[in-house]
Amino acid sequence: MRSARGWRLAGIRSALAAIVIACLATGPALAQTTVRVSGWGGTDVAIVEELLARFVRPVVEPQGIEVVYEPIADDFPTYLFNALSAGTAPDLFYVDIFWAESLMRAGQLEPLNDYLADSSVLSADDIIPELLDAFSLDGKIYGIPKDFNTLALFFNKDLFDLAGVPYPDENDDWNTLADKLRRVSALGPDIYGLALQPEFARMGALAFATGWEPFDEQGHTNLLDPRFVEAFSWYTGLAADGTGVHPEDVGQGWGGGALVTEQVAAAIEGAWLLGFLRDAAPNLPYGAVPLPRHPGTGQRGNLIFTVAWSMNSASQVKDEAFQVLEALTSPEAQQWVLERGLALPSRAELADNPYFQQPTPEAQANRIVFLGASDGFVRPFKFLDYGGSWLDPINAAINSVILGEQDAETALAAAQEQLDLLTGR
Amino acid sequence: MPWRWNRHVQEAVAAYLFLLPFALSLLIFFGYAFVRTVYFSFTDYNLFESPSWVGLQNYLAIIQDNRFLLALRNSIAFSVIVTLAQTALALVLAVVMNNRLRGITVFRTAYYLPSVTSSVVITLMFIWMFQRTGVMNYLITAAIVYRPVILTFLGLTLAAQVLQVLWERWRGRPAGWFEASLLFVSLVLAAAGTGALWVAGVTEPVAGVEPVRIVWLNTRRTIPEGGGWWSIPLPLAAIMMLNTWTTAPTFMLLYLAGLQDIPKELYEAAEVDGANRWQRFRYITVPMLRPVTFLVMTLGLIGTLQMFDQVAVIGSAAPLESVITLAYYIYHNAFPAGAMPRIGMASAAAVVLGLLPLIAVLIQRRVVERK
Repeated sequence: MRSARGWRLAGIRSALAAIVIACLATGPALAQTTVRVSGWGGTDVAIVEELLARFVRPVVEPQGIEVVYEPIADDFPTYLFNALSAGTAPDLFYVDIFWAESLMRAGQLEPLNDYLADSSVLSADDIIPELLDAFSLDGKIYGIPKDFNTLALFFNKDLFDLAGVPYPDENDDWNTLADKLRRVSALGPDIYGLALQPEFARMGALAFATGWEPFDEQGHTNLLDPRFVEAFSWYTGLAADGTGVHPEDVGQGWGGGALVTEQVAAAIEGAWLLGFLRDAAPNLPYGAVPLPRHPGTGQRGNLIFTVAWSMNSASQVKDEAFQVLEALTSPEAQQWVLERGLALPSRAELADNPYFQQPTPEAQANRIVFLGASDGFVRPFKFLDYGGSWLDPINAAINSVILGEQDAETALAAAQEQLDLLTGR
Repeated sequence: MPWRWNRHVQEAVAAYLFLLPFALSLLIFFGYAFVRTVYFSFTDYNLFESPSWVGLQNYLAIIQDNRFLLALRNSIAFSVIVTLAQTALALVLAVVMNNRLRGITVFRTAYYLPSVTSSVVITLMFIWMFQRTGVMNYLITAAIVYRPVILTFLGLTLAAQVLQVLWERWRGRPAGWFEASLLFVSLVLAAAGTGALWVAGVTEPVAGVEPVRIVWLNTRRTIPEGGGWWSIPLPLAAIMMLNTWTTAPTFMLLYLAGLQDIPKELYEAAEVDGANRWQRFRYITVPMLRPVTFLVMTLGLIGTLQMFDQVAVIGSAAPLESVITLAYYIYHNAFPAGAMPRIGMASAAAVVLGLLPLIAVLIQRRVVERK
């Protein structure tokens, strides 16, 4: 008869045997490398899942690379900053142009120049240069843009027809466009020409059209520059005479929401509007044209919003992660993204893509937004590494003037005072 | 005979063993975090580079930061006003709810609902209600449009009530001005009268009224207007009301429990002595509830000084300067939009926020003890 101790030993022995067998059974899996990929949630989850399934896993899995996708539902930058600091961040992740510079300067992103030089699939020349520049610092490339957006003027054809006003077109300047919008808004007391989202993310494009720069050589911002004041006054002036409307006044939080109420004839938005229109207003007859030219400079301005895939500089599997990155931004993957109307891809060669020649309003709008990246004074949506602290005073000024709580002069003076504290004078 | 612990030691050990799990988690998640925060508050740290000692620089930086001063002002104003308001409201609610009425539990549940509902959900509904095209402005517009009708109705009710009471009194019955049965008859009469006048075209809704578009949240207006440092931003005042409404019921429960402990004999004796309702409330209920009031005020102060969620949910629906509180200031510095984390400054502000309730409670204890 075995003692109690004997039984226990036997138990341990058989447990060990089981572990050894289990290890042998899963042996090949242990040889695999896991690359963790992360981005934000929402509609992106379905897109990335499908990209991984169609274009990434078939390429990298035969080489023993397993891709794990970890979308973050909310507040992605906060998650990422924490995870990077704690050393638990994924190997590849989204980086938005708006907060990219902080991470680049903090050395958290892996410079990709050497990987690109060795790659046979992906080269820096493939990517639209304006986008690549936005993710470069001191000659180092810190992210491969996955897609981008610019602003265009989206309008509701019905309202223009109803008012007997010609549609906005690519020859419009600020004056002719304002005139068209004013005539549409004359349709009735609850009809407006333009949704005036009170943000620099809209108005800024107009400011750039005047030739205004957000920072001078010393890195100071001057809102009292006559060119900025002119753009500011044009934008907020539309509210004063009832041509434009604060989206909240038609019960909406943004320009796109205002457009689908059919009370507002036009909105300044990017291609992100298309998916929303598809769901919220499938029968709305809309068109898209480039933003109006400034009558003085004859140029347009625009903002580039873009997101890149970047690599964690502390990653243990950098070479494998780059292979995943190559597959994520491959021409086939980008073509699929474009044709599905999901986003505008970052590869320069896609400019001549037959997709853009399709006569559908969606393809046409995508073409306008695509071309917006290289037409006139175009600046990325980033403000050194000030971020929101730089935008907040300007947004507050735009908002209070559109609401009629302050006049332009007072509002701009107050905003300038805050920016002086931030950027020096 | 083996050495044995005496009873006393045994009990002590058992008590510490039971305390251990909580003490450990307290030590790890609060003690350690607190020490780290105090340390970070003396360093320049951005989460990535190792912290470098800068002495008191962070504290100097925050007191020169206008936004910190605003946050401090907002937090203190918020805390004082909301604590007082919710304590008073909770006490009144508890006294009312303590009545033995049929169906009082239904009311207790209804009044407690705001406290158990997620404050994020309530804040979202609140934002929608106070939009420029929201329910609030709609109701105000409706009140203006139907002003003649409403005034007619109120006037008729008043007239009918006065006539009825006078009639009853003339007949020698001691009718009160608010006697329920008479009031009901008056309301019915007034409704019928108003309807008749409306149909006859004597009283009509005002035509052509512009919809009211008051900006409740997205505004820089203050109460009182132009009071500078001493006036409270309108959006913050709105959050104060919201917060009072959602937290008062929790404290109502504490007061209800406290009310059960007041001996009935005291009220009976006072009644015999001829004390009226107000006197009984003022000289029995309020003093007997003082320990509960101390607890309620302390919890209220701590809770209100740390208020964060409602500001975070309101987000861009109101200007930051108008709603920022200390807790939000800390978050805003720890994770600024599009910029490097400023952990040093955030920690310094956190230390200040930690000291505030401590000071407030110490003052409060002094006041209570002196009484």
